[in-house]
Amino acid sequence: MSSRPAPQIGFSFEYLMWIFTRISGLVMYLLAFVGLVMAFWMGAHQQVDIGALARWTFFPNPNHVTNTNIPDVTLGWSNAWWQVMEMLIFLFAVTHGMNGVRVIYEDYIGNTWGRALGRGIIFLLWIFLLIVGIYVILAS
Amino acid sequence: MEVTLKIFRYNPESGKKPHYEKYTVEAEPTDRVLDLLEYIKGNFDGTLSFRRSCAHGICGSDAMRINGQNRLACKLLVKDLHGAQITVEPILGLRVIKDLIVDMEPFFENYRSVLPYLINDEPAPKKERLQSPEERERFDDTTKCILCACCTTSCPSFWVNEKYVGPAAIVTAHRFIFDSRDRGAAERLKILSGQFGVYRCHTIFNCTTACPREIEVTQAIGEVKKAIGTGSLE
Ligand code: SF4
Ligand code: SF4
Ligand code: FES
Repeated sequence: MSSRPAPQIGFSFEYLMWIFTRISGLVMYLLAFVGLVMAFWMGAHQQVDIGALARWTFFPNPNHVTNTNIPDVTLGWSNAWWQVMEMLIFLFAVTHGMNGVRVIYEDYIGNTWGRALGRGIIFLLWIFLLIVGIYVILAS
Repeated sequence: MEVTLKIFRYNPESGKKPHYEKYTVEAEPTDRVLDLLEYIKGNFDGTLSFRRSCAHGICGSDAMRINGQNRLACKLLVKDLHGAQITVEPILGLRVIKDLIVDMEPFFENYRSVLPYLINDEPAPKKERLQSPEERERFDDTTKCILCACCTTSCPSFWVNEKYVGPAAIVTAHRFIFDSRDRGAAERLKILSGQFGVYRCHTIFNCTTACPREIEVTQAIGEVKKAIGTGSLE
């Protein structure tokens, strides 16, 4: 009785977003961990400023830590590295969060035009937040 | 001992708003809540309406909210409620027809949507479709479902949207998806990976707590999610 055909893996939208939610949650932990360790390594262990440390962990923007004795990371590749880190954590956080909003919204809304409308609004909001965030990262 | 039952009452024909009524009765600690309801119906108010059939926890008709929890009235003893007041209300998320009777149709519509029957177009063997004890064991837990709706009507996702198939339908789907004699797994998994399938479940575990058959409902849902993701029916 083992002639049972295995079902094809159906990559439905709901499934992909469900997987994404789990993976992005883990990735955010990882990125925050890197930020935290590097902040310590760069000098936060000598001058613990909890606020700056937390900001460096979750949004590693060089301008957040000018008042510590961390080396000037606004120069060259160091700056590029932190900008990429910042963009990644921001991308994952916003996408994870906006998808969460979509999931909650669709718990309530039936399979009607309301779902399309909600998805449209949430998609535009998502794009808007990404643009603003990337602008802030590049301009600072 | 003397206990007071506070029972949800609603009769659309009376024109009265839904309200609660209190009845004080003499009860044995080993009486079931269903016995008290029968007593009230027989002695105080014959219009009190509720469903019951087997009175032995197997037909699934007397699910109700007792002291805030979904229970079978026929399976719950007075002594296990630890109090002199017992509140009895209809299960949540379905329209109340009268008193403790709700309209189960949305529940059964969801049930039917997952194809709750054996699908196998292969020519039938002479005697029977054989199955090893291990293969039978694989879905044993979910065969115990009595369709009482305690789980689905305790689920917040179902409360906000009755289109969500709900835990009971997923339990039944699980029972067939993991049955080695069945060939309809792909079809069912496709249905359950849609908008109102398993991804409306946010693992709140209310269903597992509510199930009077002690089925590991959330685990069954998890196994269905895994089958969708991996394509494996192990
Ligand atoms: S575990 Fe899922 S199905 Fe069960 S009550 Fe929670 S959300 Fe509903
Ligand atoms: S899974 Fe349990 S609670 Fe849900 S309908 Fe079946 S028996 Fe009732
Ligand atoms: S009356 Fe049948 S389960 Fe309670």
